[in-house]
Amino acid sequence: MSSLVSPIIDVRDISFQYEGSPTPALDHVSLTVAPGEFVAFVGQNGAGKTTLAKTFNGILNQSSGEVIINGYDTRVAGLAALARIVGYVYQNPDHQIFANRVRDEVAFGPRNLGLSPTEINDAVQNALKLVGLEEQADTYPFILGRGQRQKLAVASVIAMGSPVLVVDEPTTGLDLRGSLSIMDLLRQWNKQGRTIIIITHDMNIVAEYAPRTVVMAQARIVADGPTRAVLTDEAVLKQAFLKAPQITRLAQRLRERFDFPGDILTVKEFYTELNRRIGKCRGG
Amino acid sequence: MPVGYSIYVETPSPIHHKLDPRTKLVATGTIFILALEFNHPLMLGLLTAAVLSVGLYARLSFKRFVPFLVGASWFLILGVLIWPAYIDQGQYLFTFYTVDVTLDGLLFGLAMGLRVALMVLAAGVWMMTTSPQKMTLGLLKMGMPYKAGLAMSTTIRFIPLISAERATITEAQRARGLRLDKGNPLSRAVKAVNIIGPMFLRAIDLAQALALAMDARGFGARKSRTNIVQIEMTQVDKVILVGCGLAVIVGLIMRIMGIGVLIEGYL
Repeated sequence: MSSLVSPIIDVRDISFQYEGSPTPALDHVSLTVAPGEFVAFVGQNGAGKTTLAKTFNGILNQSSGEVIINGYDTRVAGLAALARIVGYVYQNPDHQIFANRVRDEVAFGPRNLGLSPTEINDAVQNALKLVGLEEQADTYPFILGRGQRQKLAVASVIAMGSPVLVVDEPTTGLDLRGSLSIMDLLRQWNKQGRTIIIITHDMNIVAEYAPRTVVMAQARIVADGPTRAVLTDEAVLKQAFLKAPQITRLAQRLRERFDFPGDILTVKEFYTELNRRIGKCRGG
Repeated sequence: MPVGYSIYVETPSPIHHKLDPRTKLVATGTIFILALEFNHPLMLGLLTAAVLSVGLYARLSFKRFVPFLVGASWFLILGVLIWPAYIDQGQYLFTFYTVDVTLDGLLFGLAMGLRVALMVLAAGVWMMTTSPQKMTLGLLKMGMPYKAGLAMSTTIRFIPLISAERATITEAQRARGLRLDKGNPLSRAVKAVNIIGPMFLRAIDLAQALALAMDARGFGARKSRTNIVQIEMTQVDKVILVGCGLAVIVGLIMRIMGIGVLIEGYL
């Protein structure tokens, strides 16, 4: 699906096995992602989503196959060079927050990349503005709430200016408001031309935000395509032990009797469709 | 049976399964005392060989002792380098920069290194042949309060957890461009703050969560407790304990008589 533009992530038949594990974590996986895409990785725990994502910035090196990021082979380029291209936000913000001020935390990445003080300052300002933590710039990070710490983690990776952003479970442990505001800010970042990859178990988030979905099961990619097609493919979902959003399942049940479209992903779509039909009934 | 991380190695040896953990603790303590009672390299060397053979008898492969021996060899080198500057008795060998090096000086340095090697090995054999559970249980039976015993086993249990946290934190910071392999030792130490900071906070978080979980399951609700693993002193244990006591006394007498002592007046 990204054959026209040269891909920013090009995974070619990679395999990987964790030390001491009897089964591979990645089993001949191939994937391409074009610049500016918003992709969701879904699948059971242990399906290989995080492992795959960790090969993008060289944190893990595959045992066979190639990962080409923006033209660089990850095994040759090294983590420092890849950190400029792929930002990776870990699941738990507490795994990375160490500074005494929010501002310093965000400045850590850009400083590591060797930016000038003015550039660092700009990057920090922009990132804090994007995530809405400008007012907390001088706060001690650990007194922030869970949602704000997650935003801080995202900001501190965004500040590095990497064209690709991988976010591992951006909404886990967050309440609805926190989830939506993180996802909205990722969408906004995506609209600025950045490639976003999220790893998640929340199918509603996938349906709402990610135009493309990659389903993983047992170390392989079992489906990859437009979210609408993937989330309505019952066979694939069953294989990966996933469930489509409730509203999609409802629409699919209605399809049989009322000839309802089965590829509905959101409540809004459902409502529009229902409204149209009711209007038609009344009109006819 | 062992839960959590320790250097314990399960083998079907009598040292592992027949001896009471208390006996092994006392034996280890005895070796420590003996190590301090003598300062002749020959005597300390013999003791080291004895501890090694106990380890081999416990069916531990020699490979496992290598890291201990390598660590101890640093002390050996340090001892041989430092002690000649303080010892002037014995046969004169050569002068190194203003320091007259004597044979006894070198031997004493060797002995001090061996002493460390002996203690480290004895502790190593103890830990490799006694599972953390039995170790804790032994200390409890010796009158240590249960909460202290719990603190001990929790510490052992926490090592792999914290280690996993450290790995994740290191990854997260490396992904943010942190290069731990670059720079001089000082700047690398400063960089380590970025790992150690979150690690401490995570450790405190984990400990707090553990405390809550245990409270929720009624920890400390009863004064007395029962244990899954039972330990018992056998005839063999008693013989070994008596032997340990005798060894300490004989060692003292030898010390007073000057046997196994290279240089009088030094520990």
